[in-house]
Amino acid sequence: MARGTGEKKRKQPVVEDSDHSDVEALPEGGMDMPSEEEGEDGVPGSDDDDDEVDEFPEIDARSDSDDVDTDEEEVEEDEDEDEDEDGSEEDDAESGTEDEEHHIFPQAKTVISKITGQPKKVYPEIEPDYDSDSSTEDAPNRVGNVPMHWYDDLPHVGYSIDGKKVLKPARGDELDKFLQTVDDPSAWTSAFDKNTQMDKPLTAEELDIIRRLQAHENPDASYDPYEPTIEWFTGKGKEEVMPLSAAPEPKRRWVPSKWEKQKVMKIVRAIRQGRILPAKPKTASSQQRFYAIWNEEPSSHAPPLPAPKPRLPTHNESYNPPEEYLPTEEERKEWEATDKEDRERDYLPQKYPSLRLVPAYDQFIQERFSRQLDLYLAPRIQRAKLNIDPNSLIPKLPSPSSLRPYPNYRSLNFRHTKGRVRCLSISPDGGWVVSADEEGIVSLWEVMVGREVKRWNMKEKVGGVEWCPRTDVSFFVVGTDEKLHFLVPPNLPSMVLAATQLLLAPPTLPPAPATPSPVKWSNPPSATTSDNKPILAIDLPQSSGIPKHITWHRKGDYFATVCEFHLTDSIPVSASGEGQGGVWIHQLSRRHSQAPFRKVKGSVQLVLFHPTKPQFFVATQRYVRVYNLAEQKLLKTLIPGIRWISSMDVHPSGDHLIVGGYDRKLCWFDLELSEKPYKIMRYYHSRAIRSLHFHPTYPLFASSSDDGSIQVFHARIYNDLMTDPLIVPLKILRGHEVKEGLGVLQVKWVPKQPWLVSAGADSSVAVWCN
Amino acid sequence: MGRLRQKGKAGAAKAYVTRSMAIKKLQCSLADFRRLCILKGIFPREPRSKKRANKGSSAPTSFYYTKDIAYLAHEPVLKKLREHKAFAKRLARALGRGEWSSAKSLEDSKPVYRLDHIIKERYPTFIDAVRDIDDALCMIFLFASLPSNSRVSPSLTENCARLAAEWQLYVMHTRALRKVFLSIKGVYYQAEVMDQQVTWLIPYQFTQNIPSDVDVRVMLTFLELYQTLLGFVFFKLYTDASLVYPPPLDTKKEEAAAGVGAFSLQENNRKAGTAVSKKSTVEVDGKKVTGKDVRQTIKSLTAAAPQSENADDEMPVDDSTEQDVEEEFVPQPSTASHPDATPLPTLHSLSTLPQSQASKLFTPYTFWLSRETSRPMFEFIVRAFGGRIGWPASSGSGSPFDEDDDSITHVIIDRPLVERANASDEERERRRRRKYIQPQWVVDSINAGRILLEEPYTQGKTLPPHLSPFGDRQGAYDPLAGAGEEGAVEAASDESEAEEDEEVLGEENETEQVALKVAAAAASEDPAALRAAELEAEAAGVDYGTFEKEVTKSQQKAKKTKAPDAINPEEDMNKMMMSNKQRKLYEKMKYSQRKRGEETTKLEERKKALQKAKKRQEKAR
Repeated sequence: MARGTGEKKRKQPVVEDSDHSDVEALPEGGMDMPSEEEGEDGVPGSDDDDDEVDEFPEIDARSDSDDVDTDEEEVEEDEDEDEDEDGSEEDDAESGTEDEEHHIFPQAKTVISKITGQPKKVYPEIEPDYDSDSSTEDAPNRVGNVPMHWYDDLPHVGYSIDGKKVLKPARGDELDKFLQTVDDPSAWTSAFDKNTQMDKPLTAEELDIIRRLQAHENPDASYDPYEPTIEWFTGKGKEEVMPLSAAPEPKRRWVPSKWEKQKVMKIVRAIRQGRILPAKPKTASSQQRFYAIWNEEPSSHAPPLPAPKPRLPTHNESYNPPEEYLPTEEERKEWEATDKEDRERDYLPQKYPSLRLVPAYDQFIQERFSRQLDLYLAPRIQRAKLNIDPNSLIPKLPSPSSLRPYPNYRSLNFRHTKGRVRCLSISPDGGWVVSADEEGIVSLWEVMVGREVKRWNMKEKVGGVEWCPRTDVSFFVVGTDEKLHFLVPPNLPSMVLAATQLLLAPPTLPPAPATPSPVKWSNPPSATTSDNKPILAIDLPQSSGIPKHITWHRKGDYFATVCEFHLTDSIPVSASGEGQGGVWIHQLSRRHSQAPFRKVKGSVQLVLFHPTKPQFFVATQRYVRVYNLAEQKLLKTLIPGIRWISSMDVHPSGDHLIVGGYDRKLCWFDLELSEKPYKIMRYYHSRAIRSLHFHPTYPLFASSSDDGSIQVFHARIYNDLMTDPLIVPLKILRGHEVKEGLGVLQVKWVPKQPWLVSAGADSSVAVWCN
Repeated sequence: MGRLRQKGKAGAAKAYVTRSMAIKKLQCSLADFRRLCILKGIFPREPRSKKRANKGSSAPTSFYYTKDIAYLAHEPVLKKLREHKAFAKRLARALGRGEWSSAKSLEDSKPVYRLDHIIKERYPTFIDAVRDIDDALCMIFLFASLPSNSRVSPSLTENCARLAAEWQLYVMHTRALRKVFLSIKGVYYQAEVMDQQVTWLIPYQFTQNIPSDVDVRVMLTFLELYQTLLGFVFFKLYTDASLVYPPPLDTKKEEAAAGVGAFSLQENNRKAGTAVSKKSTVEVDGKKVTGKDVRQTIKSLTAAAPQSENADDEMPVDDSTEQDVEEEFVPQPSTASHPDATPLPTLHSLSTLPQSQASKLFTPYTFWLSRETSRPMFEFIVRAFGGRIGWPASSGSGSPFDEDDDSITHVIIDRPLVERANASDEERERRRRRKYIQPQWVVDSINAGRILLEEPYTQGKTLPPHLSPFGDRQGAYDPLAGAGEEGAVEAASDESEAEEDEEVLGEENETEQVALKVAAAAASEDPAALRAAELEAEAAGVDYGTFEKEVTKSQQKAKKTKAPDAINPEEDMNKMMMSNKQRKLYEKMKYSQRKRGEETTKLEERKKALQKAKKRQEKAR
């Protein structure tokens, strides 16, 4: 039993340390041999073998930790070599005894004695040579079956039969161990024996057991899994004759089962009634049977819409088309360069001299497939095909020739020296035009002949010019930077001149308003005598900018100005008047100006007085707001849908408003109808719309644009509320040049005449007559 | 205050479902859904507002009508598909366990769906079905010519080939073929069946291979439907024509590649008296055919016959054989004339009139196919127009006569002409007697409705262009239209060329010419100026004829330059009063018109250039 513990190869060098031990170790393998011979001898079922199986040396799990211990021991062992040698001798002796324990003395053969005739035991003869018998040698270590790690820290491993210490054998270092493994061919079949603290080669039986375990066999070599069965009760002559029990045989052994019959009958009945169909012949079911499916009446359901048929082939698909259908080289290249989806046709026309030469069409299956994809994947929409002449879509409007008079040619051209003519105004009697350019030149000239009567030089950019609509007085307002100048034309009748002077420079000033206004009204002292100087000037608040738009109330007492901001100014908002939108309403009779709005949302572009009602139109960048001036409240907001409003005019009736924008749109509002435009005309001008004007008496209006053209419209409004206004484009007047992207900047109608005066960026003012 | 309306409870949100929603509702896989859609003919719809239909999302999705999907949910095929899914699982399990016998019995009871009810639903009347068999025929003919592989089973190909042959047999039997077009894609055929134009395309006889980017499953699903549809349609067509369906197939002939000839049409004698005849009178013609009708038809036939003969100035059709064929329709003097019967020729009878004439186009002729021409194609075409046709054994068996037959009048040959020195007398004689024509002659004759002159089509000749019998859309470029007008234009251009030559030759004429031209240019506008110019020309010593020519030319030029921008300036201005919608529509229409016009002019110009080049070549020779 004690021999069982050990480690394999690793501890081999221990044995090698001393020559003695090496020599001694070899015969040990030989000593084991007899047991194998015994097996060969044919001693059946030797119990010894079984014992040996049990004794298979267990591989110590703590082997790794032992390693360190052994190294320590080695050091100790080197110190007392003498003892070591002794120990080794004793070891040898011990191993002999050990063998004796396990391999019992060679067993006796039972032989029948020739003499007595009785069986007798015969033992094999013992040859008394050196290694014939191990029984004479004792195992040196008599420590018994105790855990050997008790001796780990001690120099000895146990005690001999004499009570002497059995010293641990000397153990080499790792190199020695390795050399030992190289030298000793049996090193790989040896294991460490704890009892003797040295490597012992495994016996053949042990090796056989290892092989069996590796092969997943029964480790017992004598076990026979295929033993022949031994018949005990069956077979000839061994039948049981007597019954085991006396019970009579049950009925069910010979009567057919009732329940089984019921189950079968159930199936039979089902088959008879046709509930279960026996397997049919396969050919009949798989073959599709056709019959007159359309014989019975069709259902009342409308049939689904049939899929559209593919287009029938045209001439160019022919294998031999007329030559003009064949593509040129460029067309072919272009066709090949375009993507498959973008191609107009999925094939290129080709010509073959004879039918025999026509190849297979390589896209055939793809085309079929794409057709099927169309059939089941493409959404289908039913569209009524419009088979109309596109010209019928153009609205039928009365001919312009039936809507005369309207201006259709340029009768004269008045030229400013240089600078764009930003603004112009026509006197209420229709005889005079005052036009102002960016250089500050204000010219007064006659409409009929274009003769310049007078010229003022303002020396700075003029933002707006407007005649007072009153007929009893005659003057106009010129707006320059932060200033409004009132100018009186020369050669006025004395009565009118006197009235004008009385109005603009009254001898007694009206009482100053209770709240002081930032706007200053001032009469230059010499104004009464000279025509060259303005008779009256209004100083707008600091840095309020050029009044770009001036508009009069129809009665001529009030007028409103809209100033352009200088956005770069660092003046506070309140001072510049930005909060109130730069809108000022001035009253002549009281010589007073007021800002109608405390705060306006958006930047004000334009303002207009309603021709009949006390209403005020304010166009911001996007919306047009209508205010009631008497009640001082917002009436409505018109939404033209224009990005940036450039111009606006109200119809003389006051019910309609046109709004033009820089995005080339013109909106016609029916003020009684809706906040949305009644009519939008898009893009008839190729550039931004600059100016709009209704004729005060004729049913005409005009729009001018940066593309240098003026469009004249006929706009008839009916008294009948049910009839929509009629808008007819009449004439496109061309003649102004486009300079630096600017075309016609302002158009104005001559009152009482169907004439138009236009001011262009090419520093010319044109009069258009019918 | 009305009831509050919740979002997504009514309108487009309810009427449409997306595809994924539909699949969820039907609880089937996408493949099954696709199959159902194909079989039931359900296709996606385009909602007017995608956002409203898709819960505010405008992602690109396909929408179906909710009702369509609800209709699919009750579909028996869907049930079968589910059963099939269970069956597939069971079978896989049985096979996995190695239970072969149970797998076999499972396989025997495999769920199979029928499409009969779907055919009836999709095509409630027979006319609906006939109207929609174009695609089906194309697919059948395509698959009949496909090589069988793992995806396309041989039985499928065989069935398609059988259906294709049945259709061709029917068309041949009823002489329903009307138009044939040889295109680069294949051969287009058009037949008139039940007053419906049925057009189908057969690829040329080459092996087609299914490309990898084509989903065969989709094609096979369509084919499944088409096979069933065609089966029912053919059954009806055959029984209406009192023929047995399916026509019996002679396997021996089939194996010898007899093609269509392997099938034999059998008169259906048993039922003719009862159901079928009743059906044919009611459904085929849509009215009862009375004796009076027949007589009227005959009368109109005889009236039309001489006219058509006159029209056929090139090749009068031999009428004798026709008479033999139509013995029962021999006109007999009617006992009583019906004065009231004059308006009786109905639209139907009139429309059938020219066809009956044309469908016997090849009756008097016997054709022989040269071995390089396609037998199935010409056998079908010629027999559909009443001709007899034979072919060499290399094109398949079943030729009714051989090459030595004396009755052969035409040989369809597609080879260049080779003079053989060692031709025997018999061969030479045969060559003299028979007409050797290229295949295009047959097709062009059919499309023209009369026998064309063989001369331009004889063997080895450069063929005249082959035009589509289906025509082009209205107002498109017509390659034939130029024929009359062309002459004039050509003449004009010739003159101008001649003039150029003159100019080169006689320098002294030049001043005169210039004066003339100036005068003419001025003259084209108003009559007063014309008169002045005339006087001037006379003073210059130009004779009146050349002057007049010059004037007409300049007038033409002026017209041409004017034509494109002839739009009234007033109308041009009125355009700005159009609403946005109208303007867009107008611009779209104008765009397409311009594009079409450009195409036509391009073709015309090219033709002119080609003709000029040809003329030059001829001159050079």
